[in-house]
Amino acid sequence: MTMDATRIASTTNVDMEATGVRVPNTPQDAHPRNPEDANVHLETKDVHIWFGQRLIIEKVNLSFPENSVTALIGPSGCGKSTFIRTLNRMHEFIPGAALAGQILYDGQDIYDAQVDPVDIRVQIGMVFQKPNPFPTMSIKENVLSGLHLAQIKYENPDEIVRNCLERASLWTEVKDRLNASASSLSGGQQQRLCIARSLAVNPKVLLMDEPCSALDPGSTRRIEGTIKELSQEMTIVIVTHNMAQAQRVSDYTAFFLAEEGAPAQVVESGRTDEIFMRPKDPRTNDYVNGLFG
Amino acid sequence: MTITLDKPINSIKPPKPWAKRNKSTVVNNAIAVILPTVVLGILFFTTEIPGPVLVVVVFFPLQLLTAGVTSFMDKGKRGIGDSLLSVGCVSAFGLVVALLGSVVLSVIARGLPAMKFNFLFQNNIYISPTTELTYGGIGHALLGTLLVVFIASIIAVPLGIASAIYITDIKGRAAGFVRFMVQAMSGVPSIVAGLFIFAAIILTDVVGFSAIAGGLAYAILMLPTVARTAEEVLRLVPKEVRDAAVALGSSRARVTMRIVLPTAKTGLITAVVLGVARIIGETAPLLLTTSNANNTNLNPFRDPVSTIPVYIFQYLGSGYQTSIQRAWGAALVLLLAVTILFALTRYLSRNKKGNV
Repeated sequence: MTMDATRIASTTNVDMEATGVRVPNTPQDAHPRNPEDANVHLETKDVHIWFGQRLIIEKVNLSFPENSVTALIGPSGCGKSTFIRTLNRMHEFIPGAALAGQILYDGQDIYDAQVDPVDIRVQIGMVFQKPNPFPTMSIKENVLSGLHLAQIKYENPDEIVRNCLERASLWTEVKDRLNASASSLSGGQQQRLCIARSLAVNPKVLLMDEPCSALDPGSTRRIEGTIKELSQEMTIVIVTHNMAQAQRVSDYTAFFLAEEGAPAQVVESGRTDEIFMRPKDPRTNDYVNGLFG
Repeated sequence: MTITLDKPINSIKPPKPWAKRNKSTVVNNAIAVILPTVVLGILFFTTEIPGPVLVVVVFFPLQLLTAGVTSFMDKGKRGIGDSLLSVGCVSAFGLVVALLGSVVLSVIARGLPAMKFNFLFQNNIYISPTTELTYGGIGHALLGTLLVVFIASIIAVPLGIASAIYITDIKGRAAGFVRFMVQAMSGVPSIVAGLFIFAAIILTDVVGFSAIAGGLAYAILMLPTVARTAEEVLRLVPKEVRDAAVALGSSRARVTMRIVLPTAKTGLITAVVLGVARIIGETAPLLLTTSNANNTNLNPFRDPVSTIPVYIFQYLGSGYQTSIQRAWGAALVLLLAVTILFALTRYLSRNKKGNV
């Protein structure tokens, strides 16, 4: 355990550190108490983010365990979306963006000079806040577009399309009109199409930046179901403003907060049930109980 | 006032309660429309004052006045601004339509006598300024114009779109400079473009007067139009769409080639057509680069070639009746060519969903 991991553990699990007792993982409990104790897939170490000269995010140390869902919560404008974009190197496209610290994917810093960002983005997929299917392509072409764009060879396009649409729980609605334009779908369907499109390139991690913020409750529920199912096979990081959603879909939660005039920090992180039921930090308690934000 | 539905709902015309007018409004509107027209008519037939003067000095101010007064009576102060703006806009629109219409009509009226079958398909060999209109034509000039415009397009379109991509997608270090140069280029007078090609490649004996020289001069004029329009269009491709492509593991080149350009396809076609429309009637650069010819010359690399604008220029100044008619006929052909071009673009860029 590194210094940083110890520090984050000490803020989240004061009681256990103090007693020196580790709660063993029971068979029913697939997700251990500490993200660090699970099979960590993606990890950030001392991540600082700037826009121009302005420090936006300070010293974020988070672990994202394999095959789990981690929710990033916090008030608007505290940099959750900015942070999630650093996890697959989308951050660097913003003019003036800067970054310090490490982001380790299977132990490899994704910002190392020899790492090709294109490879990273194939393995760490992303679903955006606003549904953004390619407007000139059909539903089927949209699903396969990632394979073409990333130049991945494939066989059985029909099978891939079906498989991805089924996993994104869109198949039954569109199976008879796969050649229709993607813009003919409703907002919720478009978002599920975007999820299916991300799945086609077989990512190991899926980043979701408020995927349901533009959708109605019905579509939201279906996407949450999809997230739950996908988490059996991939690691998911989701930014959400919806506290109830974070509780429904996530195994772990990290609470971001920017105090007035200061850069955002992670106030508390850990198992979702503990963050919501037994928050350690009074600010977390106030936020999850709707007292501010 | 509400509309009572005493009849079965499916037997009536769907009502539009907002379209109702008071009787006084109807009367006021009628006065505002009829009075100035009647005054204009009376003055036109009873006095010697020319029509255009009457329209500007009497009709327009009177129309503004009546519209202002009647709408003040109708709606009070708020009405005046509305009505003056309406009258101003409709008048401006009418003026533009009248100007454009008179250009088109005079070209059609004077060009029609020359429009014989032979006019489109024969060339100008053995034709003297007084030869009857049943012999000779502008076939050679039509082909020449197509050739020169084609050469200009294959040079200016790829360069223009490439520089637009450089500015919007690659965002290279020199993007601002390229943008500035493109804007500066669009201010180059057409004769300067011709003069430049004349000095650069004709005086230096690289080629003689030829279609390629004309095409190069045209390309200088076409490039900024294509580049600026393409830049505008590429900017319209949503950032979200580009983000999606990048997040799927696409290289920058593939984002541009497979996502941005297809999304902007119809807009890019418009950029090309605007570029062609910009150059197709330009005469000055061709006088210095293609010169003129009476025969059909399809070799782009040597010998002068005739083009429609130069043909018009040559024949309009000749002073002979039939020659002037030929010039008007050529002008009509050019007008039709541009119209067909625009119609074609409209057809090609029918607003399919999802395209910019």
